[in-house]
Amino acid sequence: MTKNHKSVRWRRIFGCNLLFLMFTLPLTAQDLLVSGKVTDGQLPISGANVLIKNTKKGVVSNFDGRYSITAKATDTLQISYLGYTTVTIPIQNRTTINVTLQEDATALGEVQINAGYYTTTDREKTGSISRITAKEIETQPINNPLAAMQGHLSGVNIVQSTGVPGGGYSIEIRGKNFINGSTNPLFIVNGVPYGSQSLEAPDVSAGINGSLVSPLNAIDPNSIESIEVLKDADATAIYGSRGANGVVLITTKKGKQGKTIVNTNMSTSLGQVTGFRKLMNTQQYLEIRKEAIINDGFGAFLENPNFDFIWPDLKSWSQTRYTDWQKNLIGGTAIRNNFRLSVSGGKENTQFLTGATHLKETTVFPGDSNYKKTSINNAINHQSANQRFTLVSTASFTFEDNQLPSADFTVLANTLEPNAPKLFDNNGNLNWENGTWANPLARLKRQYNALINTLMANMTVSYSLMDNLEFKSNFGFNNYDLESYIIFPSSALNPNDGVDSSFSSLTTNKGQRKSWIIEPQLNWEQQWKNIRANILIGSTFQKETSTQSVQRARGFPNNQLILNPSAASSLEALQNSYSEYKYMAYFGRINLNYQSKYFINLTGRRDGSSRFGPNKQFGNFGAVGAAWCFSKEALFNENTWLSFGKIRGSYGTTGSDNIGDYRFLGTYSTTGFDYNGTSVLEPTGVFNPNFRWETNKKIELGFEFGLFKDRILINTSWYRNRSSNQLIGVPLAATTGFNSLVSNFEATVENTGFEMEFSAVKIINKNLQWTTTFNFTQAKNKLLKFPDLKSSTFSNKYIIGQPLTIVHLYHALGVNPDTGLYQFEDYNDDGNISAEDRQWIVDFAPKFYGGLGNIFSYKNLSMEFFFQFKKQKAYNSLASGASAGLRENGSVNLINRWQQTGDMAPIQRATFGRYPGAGLGGQNQSMSNAAVSDGSFIRLRNVLLSYKVPKHMPSDLDFTVYVQGQNILTITGLDVADPEQTSNAILPPLRQLTLGVQLSF
Amino acid sequence: MKNPKMLTKIFACFLILGMISCESFVEIDPPNNTIITESIFESDATIESALANIYYKMREGGMVSGNFGLSIALGIYTDELEYYGNNNNQLNLYNHNVFANDITISSWWNHAYNIIYASNDIIEGIDNSTTLLPETKAQYKGQAFFVRAYMHSLLVALFGDIPYVSTTDHASNSKEIRMPVQKVYEHIIADLNNAITFLDSSDASKERVIPNQSAANALLSRMYLYTQKWEKAEETSSKLISTFTLETDVQKVFLKHASETIWQFKPEGKNIKNTQEGQILVINFVPTQGYGLSDSLLTAFETGDLRATNWINSITSTDGLTTIYYPYKYKETINTTANSLEYSIIFRLAEQYLIRAEARAHLGAISDAQNDLNTIRNRAGLNDIATTDAMALIDAIHQERRVELFTEHGHRWFDLNRIGRADEALRAIKPNWRPTNVLLPIPETELRLNPNLKPQNSGY
Repeated sequence: MTKNHKSVRWRRIFGCNLLFLMFTLPLTAQDLLVSGKVTDGQLPISGANVLIKNTKKGVVSNFDGRYSITAKATDTLQISYLGYTTVTIPIQNRTTINVTLQEDATALGEVQINAGYYTTTDREKTGSISRITAKEIETQPINNPLAAMQGHLSGVNIVQSTGVPGGGYSIEIRGKNFINGSTNPLFIVNGVPYGSQSLEAPDVSAGINGSLVSPLNAIDPNSIESIEVLKDADATAIYGSRGANGVVLITTKKGKQGKTIVNTNMSTSLGQVTGFRKLMNTQQYLEIRKEAIINDGFGAFLENPNFDFIWPDLKSWSQTRYTDWQKNLIGGTAIRNNFRLSVSGGKENTQFLTGATHLKETTVFPGDSNYKKTSINNAINHQSANQRFTLVSTASFTFEDNQLPSADFTVLANTLEPNAPKLFDNNGNLNWENGTWANPLARLKRQYNALINTLMANMTVSYSLMDNLEFKSNFGFNNYDLESYIIFPSSALNPNDGVDSSFSSLTTNKGQRKSWIIEPQLNWEQQWKNIRANILIGSTFQKETSTQSVQRARGFPNNQLILNPSAASSLEALQNSYSEYKYMAYFGRINLNYQSKYFINLTGRRDGSSRFGPNKQFGNFGAVGAAWCFSKEALFNENTWLSFGKIRGSYGTTGSDNIGDYRFLGTYSTTGFDYNGTSVLEPTGVFNPNFRWETNKKIELGFEFGLFKDRILINTSWYRNRSSNQLIGVPLAATTGFNSLVSNFEATVENTGFEMEFSAVKIINKNLQWTTTFNFTQAKNKLLKFPDLKSSTFSNKYIIGQPLTIVHLYHALGVNPDTGLYQFEDYNDDGNISAEDRQWIVDFAPKFYGGLGNIFSYKNLSMEFFFQFKKQKAYNSLASGASAGLRENGSVNLINRWQQTGDMAPIQRATFGRYPGAGLGGQNQSMSNAAVSDGSFIRLRNVLLSYKVPKHMPSDLDFTVYVQGQNILTITGLDVADPEQTSNAILPPLRQLTLGVQLSF
Repeated sequence: MKNPKMLTKIFACFLILGMISCESFVEIDPPNNTIITESIFESDATIESALANIYYKMREGGMVSGNFGLSIALGIYTDELEYYGNNNNQLNLYNHNVFANDITISSWWNHAYNIIYASNDIIEGIDNSTTLLPETKAQYKGQAFFVRAYMHSLLVALFGDIPYVSTTDHASNSKEIRMPVQKVYEHIIADLNNAITFLDSSDASKERVIPNQSAANALLSRMYLYTQKWEKAEETSSKLISTFTLETDVQKVFLKHASETIWQFKPEGKNIKNTQEGQILVINFVPTQGYGLSDSLLTAFETGDLRATNWINSITSTDGLTTIYYPYKYKETINTTANSLEYSIIFRLAEQYLIRAEARAHLGAISDAQNDLNTIRNRAGLNDIATTDAMALIDAIHQERRVELFTEHGHRWFDLNRIGRADEALRAIKPNWRPTNVLLPIPETELRLNPNLKPQNSGY
């Protein structure tokens, strides 16, 4: 007994001392100053990185290629420069070390890729990570980081939701995984999760931007160093529950050691709609209108003066006036001015970067609406003298002020009668034409305004406990504040209506999202003879609260007071919500690397979310990734063309808690009503602790090749993701008191795909270089399993074996030559065409998509083209109107209508909606397969021509002039303005031409 | 940085703290615009709000509401009302064109079980409350028992065998089976007896807008009538007849202060001053999209019946060709008056007189039965009924119920069914009538979501 006890104590003491010793290993080696010159054999290389290996300490060679650095005699120097092979040289007590770098077209091994909690390189990564860098982003005059990624990354499908400034984007990484839930990936900005859902309220801005205001607008694309997209299990499992839809890592620029550099970038862009729809002119419109009225049996009324007011377009308005409303209402030029100034620099231990951007963008609409954004961002890096302690701190503040009309003019531009009256009367006042129309410019008085403040701050501190053991913690805080309103003053209506300011209304929205995060981590790295091991453990604590309140005030003593809700006669709360989300996790990674030939990467995460009930809060996720760099095998040593070859694969699980907060609680909510003076509390949730994490199992296989000294790089991958345990509201029998209950449903959604990224550099001669990049994605989505789909509420939406993106349409059978009416297939043979006959299935997800870029640089001149392509189906112009004869303009195709018995025509008889079956038939035609066409396109997304003015010694001034075109040309068979934005009510993305200068000294 | 030892220790501590800090981090407080169920039962205010929700919902929708609840919908389903509009939901009931996917039927079903859930939640939750006084607890619990009984009493009368739901457990409730009618009535009576023990007879609301013991007794006597427990029906109705006094003036029966009212709904008050019945049934011009009284009901009134002149009104088209008669029990539309004059009445004393008359007739107490019946007839300005034959007297009582309780909460339909005369009354006037129409169909979606409810009522 005694002996045992002793031995335990002895072991404890020994352990403690060991730990103590490990943590207090003293510095012994003597520091010395090493200097030298970096050349390519002939000329000096300036800006080469000279780094002490396995530390963050380093310097940059100066203009003459010279450097000097303080190091220990036992250290190893690592000298790198983009386009050259990195060399490592042990110092071995020397004080002068001259280095010659060998040219290398690409440098796979050197570029650090951010993988979130750790970094890796193209050579060593076992997962699927796509990236773009400042190089691709800086040259695009854009407002939102997602815009920069469009078309550039494989497996990432981004669509701009409107051409109105300050609007949103949708993003889907490797398809739609969940039946109920968004496709939004996890966005992480400098290590801090960033909420990407819009906080705008439909009551305020549904008309102008679909209430989609992307919080990502707050991130100035010019401040971004790189964007990495993590796709497969190996890369995303360390993000556990939040990784199912992929992870987007945004890293902002940091300061670099060296002299202080001032960088300015000024640009002006002119934006216009890419094209107009082909609409009917006055003559065509009036002819069809009259025909419709006669067809419908109301011809006699055309002569009846009582109808002057009902059909002013046919009676009281000019029959010859023609206005191109598209030109008038969306034909303007949106001017964007962008100015950025940044200063960076720093000494050996501390570097900084500070920058400010101001952007102002007007619209293509009439009026002086505009969007303004000002952002300031700072980054400070600091290392202690002994290199053990490092600190990185970034902060950014963005202020957005968006003043827009309350509704997108596009719908009016596409539907106003071509003979509608003039906008202004002879006195320059709005023309109401005796109250026969709603003057579109009156809409400008119904203003929408959004003020958005975004603060993002984070700090990462790390301390090397030992040479190979580092403690690190990340602290972050985000605050996103959106305040918006829409006003509807009575003055926006015809003054003859006699409506006064007691009808004026103001609707306000206040939304706030606040979150903080703390992530302590330990990172241990050990290099043995053949094996390098890297072990990371850490934990996450995160809290996010969001509040939203939407109010409507009505009735003001006069319109001057419309912004003052306290002056209103009634105030009504439309929405009031508060939610709290807490999240914690443990995560870890073990990475083993044998001779840089074999790699194994194990990642895992244990996640807890407040969205689940007791005992269901935690879920475990993990992945294994492996890679074999076969080009390192002896067999390939003598191979002259294969410079790099790797097979990698991964398998693992990620999850999702994407169901909203508090869904497990039994709750009562206020409804705003009362009975007998007692306010009502209604049961809104039934205690339901049984649902848990959705899971997404991902498998991936990839081949990567580098040919001819990596001048050609090919990266291919195949993946299959299966999402199950889908969280959906399962319909419940009414006897439970509720109609649905959140639960894990045994439905499975599969996404498979093939992706390829290719790049090639051809150095034609010393002055001329040609770079090509190409990416391609082929993706397929499929609902594999859905028990009792037929009897579920989803039966009209999904089909087993088909994608989630399908739409049910009528099957159009053309126009009946006898009746002149549209005909449809009566699937259920019940003699009439109703919702049950929507059995024609169309999948709107792209079959494949990608991008092709070419960069030519000749001396100081550089020229870039970037094409984007997509193979997909899309709605054509019939979807926004398939009936001719209504009191609205439409596609010129509508003139090909049926006119008499026997006519074979694509469009049915003209009708203004009174002919039996014609009105409904027109609507059904818009929801039929006839309204869908091949929406594939090739788009010249980017053209850039830049010229760097040669340097005049001794001035250090760098001066670049550039002309850039965005969304220049789209080749498509579709008869609408933009194949990605086919609605006639939404402004499609604009074509922009930019002139800019970049100055740095 | 001078003392790495110190720093190391701080970091180590911090790290360890971070790692082990318990997983309870992910527990959150409830949001501030909702209340978690447990805390509802911690104060009088919140539980009264939970009950207010029940009465609010009953008033605004479902079977009890004046807004296309049983009063109007069963009026057109039987022989009380004609429908002049073209709304398919109404037409389907009017023409006996009801299918299992009828949305009126499924909304009644869903609404009733939603209220039953709310009452069960109170019954289950209130016992765990430690903060409420036992006396007030009893009042709340009594109301919840009463509500549960009332909703089931309507469901069983419309659908026959139904699930009797008495827990909040969604797992078992979603698999409930149908309980035979007699069993359902036993449960209803047991719930009402519970309600009566918990509730007291005082009227805390002063306006009889919250059900109390009397409301529970009123439903209980009706249940005894429906189940032919004559002694108990007589005993229970007698309690009410000794507590309330009959309004003597026919014109005042539906005013909010009417002395015979046992339970009524208080209107919203700001925008809606009076009843939805008045809003919907009063016709302002002809042609109309509304409801008019059927000829068969109009001819059922005896000459000189004050109810025919006071509770019925008519309107004639401008060309003088069409005259439509409409129920005029409630005379005000929702916002015509500055103050509320009429509340929507659910239980009133006249029904209790007629229940007691029928019970006494069955028990052979003929003169007592005559007295009760005559009390109602005399008020309407009619002579005493002379017959001493029990069967004839019972028929006279049923006729009296028809003219006294017309277009009130489906009494006509329930009476026709319980005395087995629906077929006789409706065969001639409803071309689509089939004898199986005495029961409504169980909503189709419910049969699909819970196959234990199968088989469907016959005929659907």
